[in-house]
Amino acid sequence: MTQLLTRKVATAAPSGGRPRKSRRGGIINVFYLPALLLFAIFMVYPLISGIGLSFTNWNGYSADRAFVGVSNYLRLFEDAVFRTALLNTFIYGIGCTIIQQILGLGLALVLDRRIRGRGIARTIIYLPVLVSPVVMGTMYYLLFQFNNGMLNDFVIFFGGERVAWLSNSTAAVIIIVLINSLQFMGISMIIYLAGLQSIPSMYYEASTLDGATGWKQFIHITVPLLQPAFAASIVLNLIGGLKLFDVIKVLTGGGPGYSSHSVSTLIGVSYFDNQSAGYASAMGVVLFLIIIVFTLILNAALDRHRLEA
Amino acid sequence: MKSRIAFVAAASALTLLASGCGGTSSGSEDSNVLEFQTGQTVDSALMTTFTELTDQFKEEHPDIEVDLVPTTQSYEADMKVRLASGNVPDIWYTHGWSLLRYSEFLMPLDEEPWAENFNPALDSAMRNDDGQFFALPVDTDIAGVLYNGEVLEAAGVDPNDLDTWTDFTDAAKAVKANGVTPIYVSGKDNGPAGNVADWIAPGAFSDQELEKFSNGEFVEDGYSQILELVAQWREADYFNPDFASATQDDISRALSQGDAAFAFGQNDYAQNGLQYNPDADLGFVPVPNFEGGKKYLIGGEMNAYGIAKETNNPEAAKAYLAFLAQPENLSKLAAAAGSAPGLTNAEADLGVFQDSYETFVENDDLELKPYFDRVYLPNGMWNTMVTTTGAVITGQSDVQTAVNQMKTDFNSLYGQNK
Repeated sequence: MTQLLTRKVATAAPSGGRPRKSRRGGIINVFYLPALLLFAIFMVYPLISGIGLSFTNWNGYSADRAFVGVSNYLRLFEDAVFRTALLNTFIYGIGCTIIQQILGLGLALVLDRRIRGRGIARTIIYLPVLVSPVVMGTMYYLLFQFNNGMLNDFVIFFGGERVAWLSNSTAAVIIIVLINSLQFMGISMIIYLAGLQSIPSMYYEASTLDGATGWKQFIHITVPLLQPAFAASIVLNLIGGLKLFDVIKVLTGGGPGYSSHSVSTLIGVSYFDNQSAGYASAMGVVLFLIIIVFTLILNAALDRHRLEA
Repeated sequence: MKSRIAFVAAASALTLLASGCGGTSSGSEDSNVLEFQTGQTVDSALMTTFTELTDQFKEEHPDIEVDLVPTTQSYEADMKVRLASGNVPDIWYTHGWSLLRYSEFLMPLDEEPWAENFNPALDSAMRNDDGQFFALPVDTDIAGVLYNGEVLEAAGVDPNDLDTWTDFTDAAKAVKANGVTPIYVSGKDNGPAGNVADWIAPGAFSDQELEKFSNGEFVEDGYSQILELVAQWREADYFNPDFASATQDDISRALSQGDAAFAFGQNDYAQNGLQYNPDADLGFVPVPNFEGGKKYLIGGEMNAYGIAKETNNPEAAKAYLAFLAQPENLSKLAAAAGSAPGLTNAEADLGVFQDSYETFVENDDLELKPYFDRVYLPNGMWNTMVTTTGAVITGQSDVQTAVNQMKTDFNSLYGQNK
């Protein structure tokens, strides 16, 4: 078999001159150009520009701006609102990730079985992912509204009094975490479904012969072999949670007060409302670094775990 | 063949690059089309009047098209992005900031034929040291505390007797006892909560303290006094319980339908409420003061429209504003805004506000105070004022924390804008 493969490769390579693969690669590389250009225009340039702005006192629209050194970064340490937003960002990032993994994996395990209607169930669970977070936030706003909200209609129906759901800081943060988790658990479910379907059934058959129960099979076969799915799902959800913006903007606007802001929404407020584009850019750079660090740590941890498994 | 493929790929990349590089000219590319950012919602009385007048203008000037653009919830942010990118509309709504924020982008209009009728009451808010102004004032904003007369009557409150905040608080108590929300504020929209502090502020500081604000020193005691009053009202449950989810439209609706007694806002809040209840007994009273102070009115620039300095259509834009400035047209616009006209040769039928104007503006010796945030706080503080007041209204922040946040942002923005 090895000889056959070697002979095929040898036949494919032209005699003399550069290998064909390298020449084809040269032409194909040209096709990267449009994508690279788009990446440079919409990702690299704004990033570099944002880093530059973070060292200025630009108000966001005027032609005037001055270099202020690292004062915007120093201001972050003293800003209680930024600390609140940073804490909320971690809550949104980590909270959403945990809930989405639990729900996504649970649903994937159920819907991986040959049960009636699993196709429809998968579609229904995944559908919210296709809805814009702004639309989702607006729908939930209508649900949680004080006067005409559906939830309060239920409360009144059961003899209670209307509740101002969005007037409490803790409630607002929890509601945001739940909305985002429920909307995007479909992504985790799909990733885990793909992972589950790639596990060969012979492992389960062999373990059954050895007397392993369902729980042991889950711990010793499913979980280790789902490591790549865990890595993909956790990293995707974590980044999404750390960048959370739309739902907060539409549902609470960061309120009551500043209590449900994430760093992303606070950047918008600082940039446009407070007219501190330089300060907002400094927040953006910090958020960028936080996401990078989180992702690197997580990837390293998951890789190590995967190797051990 | 290979070189053709490479050529196609490179051409695609260059096309993308070219398509990403937009022009930076002002307004529409077509010299006969004016982009007019009205700053008004689609169904507002002012927008309806703009539409009618613009149709008339087009009949007189068939060669000029005017694209009336309604506002969005992010109007201010949209404008800032457009100013920063050089993609500026031909004419836009300056929402009180024609001088302090937008004048570097607007052409001076003090040489226009209608400029001689500019209402001198707006001089301090709209003219610079050289006497220039940069927007056509549709109205002269004179506001007080809005009220529903029927609600107050039912509670046994005479709106003319509200001289101090103690009187106002007693009135709120009577309204509350009658089962109606005394004060309706919106936390969902960015503005109404800030109005509460902005309305109270002029009476909370002495002239010396106001001078300190102008010199970059935040006066904590006076500002604490404002928010303590707000906190007192919150503790007494005088605010609407749906504050967090209520919109500005909800204020108009509640006030006109008798679900609220008072609102802190410009007259268009009540004017828009008439769409829900045309027979509503609405009006405004002067803003009460703290003990020992005299009640006052709040005012300045509100609905004003400037022309971009770099517009491609300066003559068409000036012709359009001149048309709006004609006395009969400006009268209609001012009436739609529910305020006195911005030009002295126009008259406005102020509808439900006629009595309030005759009583408090024409026949009473009351001082017209400028909006506190525009004059004494650095540019960019409005959002902090809104958010901190909102936090006190919901009880999510105590007075000291809110004052500290105001002070922190004041110092940062004052340093930045210096």
